[in-house]
Amino acid sequence: MGRNKGNLRSVKTRKKDEYFFDYSLLFVVLFLLGFGLVMVYSASSYDASTSKSFNYDAAYFLKKQAFSGVLGIVAMFVVSFIPYRFWERFATLGYLVSAVLIVLVLTPLGIEANGARRWLNLGISVQPAEIAKLAMILFLASLICKMGKTIRTPKGFWVVAFVPVPICLMVWKITDNLSSAIIIFGIAILMLFVASPDYKRFFLIGGLVAAAAVSVVIVLQNMDTAQLQNAGFRSARIMAWLSPEDYASGTGFQTLQSLYAIGSGGLFGKGIGQSMQKLGFLPEVQNDMIFALICEELGIFGGICVILLFVLLIWRCMVIASNASDLFGALLVVGVLGHVAIQVILNIAVVTNTIPNTGISLPFISYGGSSVMFLLIEMGLVLSVGRGIRLKEKV
Amino acid sequence: MRNRTGNRKKIIVATLLFLLLLVGLIGRLVFFMVFQSEYYSRKAEDLHVRERYIKAKRGKILDRNGVVLADNVAVCNISVIHNQIKDKEKVIDVLCEELGLSREYVEKRVNKVSSIEKIKSNVSKEIGDKIREYNLAGIKVDEDYKRYYPFGELASKVLGFTGGDNQGIIGLEVIYEEELQGESGVILTTTDARGIEIETKGESRKEPVNGNNLVTSLDYNIQQYAMQLAKVAMETKEAERVSIIALNPGNGEIYCMVDVPEFDLNQPYDLEEWIAESNLQIQTANLQNTEEKQKILNQMWRNGCINDTYEPGSTFKIITTAAALEENVVSLEQRFYCPGYIMVEDRRIRCHKYGGHGSVSFVEGMQGSCNPTFISLGLTLGVEKYYHYFSKFGLLNKTGIDLPGEAGTIMHKKENIGPVELATVAFGQSFQITPIQMAATVSSLINGGNRITPHIGIKTQNEEGNTVKTYTYKTGKKLVEEETSETLQYLLEKVVDGGTGSNGYVEGYRVGGKTATSQTLPRNSGKYIASYIGFAPADNPEILALVVVHKPEGVYYGGQVAAPIIRQLFENILPYLERM
Repeated sequence: MGRNKGNLRSVKTRKKDEYFFDYSLLFVVLFLLGFGLVMVYSASSYDASTSKSFNYDAAYFLKKQAFSGVLGIVAMFVVSFIPYRFWERFATLGYLVSAVLIVLVLTPLGIEANGARRWLNLGISVQPAEIAKLAMILFLASLICKMGKTIRTPKGFWVVAFVPVPICLMVWKITDNLSSAIIIFGIAILMLFVASPDYKRFFLIGGLVAAAAVSVVIVLQNMDTAQLQNAGFRSARIMAWLSPEDYASGTGFQTLQSLYAIGSGGLFGKGIGQSMQKLGFLPEVQNDMIFALICEELGIFGGICVILLFVLLIWRCMVIASNASDLFGALLVVGVLGHVAIQVILNIAVVTNTIPNTGISLPFISYGGSSVMFLLIEMGLVLSVGRGIRLKEKV
Repeated sequence: MRNRTGNRKKIIVATLLFLLLLVGLIGRLVFFMVFQSEYYSRKAEDLHVRERYIKAKRGKILDRNGVVLADNVAVCNISVIHNQIKDKEKVIDVLCEELGLSREYVEKRVNKVSSIEKIKSNVSKEIGDKIREYNLAGIKVDEDYKRYYPFGELASKVLGFTGGDNQGIIGLEVIYEEELQGESGVILTTTDARGIEIETKGESRKEPVNGNNLVTSLDYNIQQYAMQLAKVAMETKEAERVSIIALNPGNGEIYCMVDVPEFDLNQPYDLEEWIAESNLQIQTANLQNTEEKQKILNQMWRNGCINDTYEPGSTFKIITTAAALEENVVSLEQRFYCPGYIMVEDRRIRCHKYGGHGSVSFVEGMQGSCNPTFISLGLTLGVEKYYHYFSKFGLLNKTGIDLPGEAGTIMHKKENIGPVELATVAFGQSFQITPIQMAATVSSLINGGNRITPHIGIKTQNEEGNTVKTYTYKTGKKLVEEETSETLQYLLEKVVDGGTGSNGYVEGYRVGGKTATSQTLPRNSGKYIASYIGFAPADNPEILALVVVHKPEGVYYGGQVAAPIIRQLFENILPYLERM
C-alpha cells in the first residue's frame, strides 16, 4: 500500500496537474498491441500467402487486426476522457442488450466459422460474448454499488452470484462457447470477492470446484474406450490433456503441436519469423496458440517477458482499483483486471497443457477483432477511473 | 472508509493470487523449454525434416584385363507430385503415350493424393529426357542408375544380377555386395505441413559414396570361348547341361566358369527364351503359377559348378592314386590283373571294359582307367587310411570359393564304409562332390601338393583405379609330397598320351588329363555324365580345366564327349595364356 502511494506521489511531483493519468498502463497496452501485430503477422503470413482463400496476401490477417486495433485505440481514448460515472445509467440496458445479441446469433445475422456460430454481422463481425463480458462488468459494478450494505448479507451474496448465471448459460449453450462462459463467471466471482467481506464462502466454492474437477478426471480415467466415446468431446479433451501423445492424431494433436513449438524454442527461440510449427503444423497459431509461437520464436526469454508485461498491466489495474475515488470505479477496474488476468492465465495454461484444451485467446496479442476492440474499450474505462483519482485528497 | 479498506485488501489478495498462478505457469514454461526442450525439439524436427536418398553408383565388375562385365547405365524414374499438377489431362496423355501404360493405371496414380507417386522406374534415359522436354508441372523425372551387363548371358551364374533396389540377388553381386554398393547419400529438406519444401531453409546434403569396382580373375576371352564350346556340345550332344571350369591350379584363380544353358543377366526373370534354349522338359503352362515359376527361376539361376553335386566317376581315380602313392602302397611297375570284374566280398564289380584289361602295370591300369586296379588300391589302403586322405585332401569340406550357395560333399559316414563301399568310392562312385571341389582338389594334387582355394574376386578398386582392398585366400596346406605330385603329373600325361584321354591331346603341348563316365541316379535310367579333367603343361601346370556334360544323347563316354571340348579350349587358350 505504501509503495502505491509513493508511486502516485512521484507522479504528482512530476506533474503539477491535480489529476492522474496512468501513462505506464497506456504504454503497456500499446506495446502489447504492437507486439501482438508483429506476432500475428509472423504467425499468419505463410499460411495467408499460400492460401487462395486469403488472396495469397501475406498481410491479410495483419491488416484486419491493425484495423480493429486502430478502431479500438480511438474508442479507448474516447472512453478514457468520458467520466466513467456516465456509463452507470446504461448498466441494466447493457446487460439486456448483451443477452439479446447472444440470442441474435441464432438469426440469419449470425455468422458461422470453424464449426461454431459465435459471431454477429453488424456491419463488422462482432462476438456477442465479448460484449457480454463488458456488459457484465458494468452491470455488476452498478448493482453492487446500489446494494450498499446488503452485499454483506448472505442474500446480497447469492443475488450477485446468480446475476451472471443466465448470461453464462446462454453463452455456453447458444454460442457453444464454454470458455467465454467460464471467463464471464470468473469475472463476476472476482468482483463479488472484492465487494464482499467474506472469505469462507469463496474457499467453499473454490474447494467444491476443485473437488468436482478431480472427480471428473478420476471417473474418466476409469472408463473404458467404448464409454469414453459416448462421453462426448469434452471428456475426450480431458483424456488428451492427461496423455497428449496417446491422442496425437485426434484431440491431442493441437496440444502436442503446441508443446513441440514451446519445447523447440529453448532459451532464446529460433528468432522472430523462424517458427517451423506455424507452417501448417500448429492449428489456430495466430489465434489461441499464439503464445506457443512466441515461445518458439523468442524462447523462454520472450515468453517470460510477455508474462511480465501482463503482470505489469495487472499491477497497474490493481493500483488504480485500490485508489479509485469510489466503489463503482474500483469494481469496474477489478472486473477488467479479472478479465485480462483470467484470460492470460487460462490461455497460457492451455498452450502448456496445464489444463485441458479449450479455446481462449491471449488478450491484446491473439488475432481477433472483437476481443481486441472490447479489451481496449475496457482499458479506456480503467484509464478513465485512473483519471478520477484525486491526488490532493490522498496527500 | 472502512469498507474501502476491506475492498483494497481483497483487491490485493486477488492480484497476488493471479500473480501466483502466473509464476506457476512460468515454472511450467521452464519445465518445457529448459528441461524438456531437447525432447520436444527432436520431435518437432522429425516432423519438419524429410529425408531423400541419393543412390550411390554401384561398382563395376571387371575381368582380369579390365573388360567391364557388369556396368551401370543411366535410367530415369518417373513420378508425379499431385499438388503440383496444373494440366491433369495433358499429364495423363503424355505419360500414357511415352511410357506405354494404360490410361486407367496412370489416371489412378495421378489422382491419388500423396506427396509423390511413382509411375514407372528404370525408364530409358531417352524417354526420360523426352518427358522432361514437355516441361509439365507435376511430373518428376529422377535420374538413377541401373545395372547393365554388356555381354548378356556371359558368366551369368557367376556374376549374378541385382534387384530393384540395386542389391545383389545371386552370384558375385551378392558376395561382394558391401564393396559394390557404396553408401547412399541423403538430402535433408525442411517441409511445411503439406510436405512442400521450404526453400529459404535450404537443404543439407550428404553426397553418396560410389561403390568400388571389383576386379575378378575371370578372363573374358576364355569365358566367351568356353561358353561357345559348351553351347555347341550341349546342342550336338542334346545334353541337359554342360559345365566348364578353368582355373590356375597354382593359386586357384578361376579363368572361366561356364554352366550352359546360361541366362540373360539383363532379363533375369524372362524364362521363355531360356526354356526354349535348354533341353529341359518344362511345361510353359506352369509359368502362370507363381510358386512354380519361382522354382523354375531358381533352376535357371543355379550354378551347376558349385550349387550341385555329381558322381565324379573315374576322374576320382586321381585322388585314389595320390593316396596310394603317398602311402607307398603302389609303384608304377606294380602289376594288376583285370578279368573284367573284381570280387569284393560277395559282390562282383565290373570293369568298364568288357572282357577285362588282362595283366597290366599300374601305368597301364591308369591309362586304361581299369576299375579293378583302383579297387585293389583302395582295398589295400583300407577304410581308415582311405578316409584319412579323403578328409586330408579337403573333400569333406567346402572349397571356400567366393560364390554363394556352395554345396557340400555327400559321402558315407566313416563307420558305414565296408569293403564294398570303399571299392566303389575308390573309382569315384557312391558319393557326390561339386565340380568346383573336383577341380580344386585335382589342382592341389598336381600343383606340387598345395591346397588352393578357388576364387574369382582379386581386388577392389576405387573409381580412379587405385586398389582399395586385395583379397587373400588360404593356400599352402601341404596335401601330398612334391614327388607324389610329380608322379601324378607323369601318370596323367600318360593317360592323354596313348590312354583313354587321347582325345585331350593338344599338339605342341604337354597335356595331362583324366576322363570319366558315370551313370546318373537312378542307375537304370540309361543316362550318363561324361567328364574330363585336363591340365597343361603337364610338368608345370598353368591351367587346369574340368568339363562335365550332363546326360548326353548317343555316345556318352568321357573320352569321346568331354575330352575333345577341353582339347579345343586348350588349343585356343594355351597360345593365348603364353602371351599373358
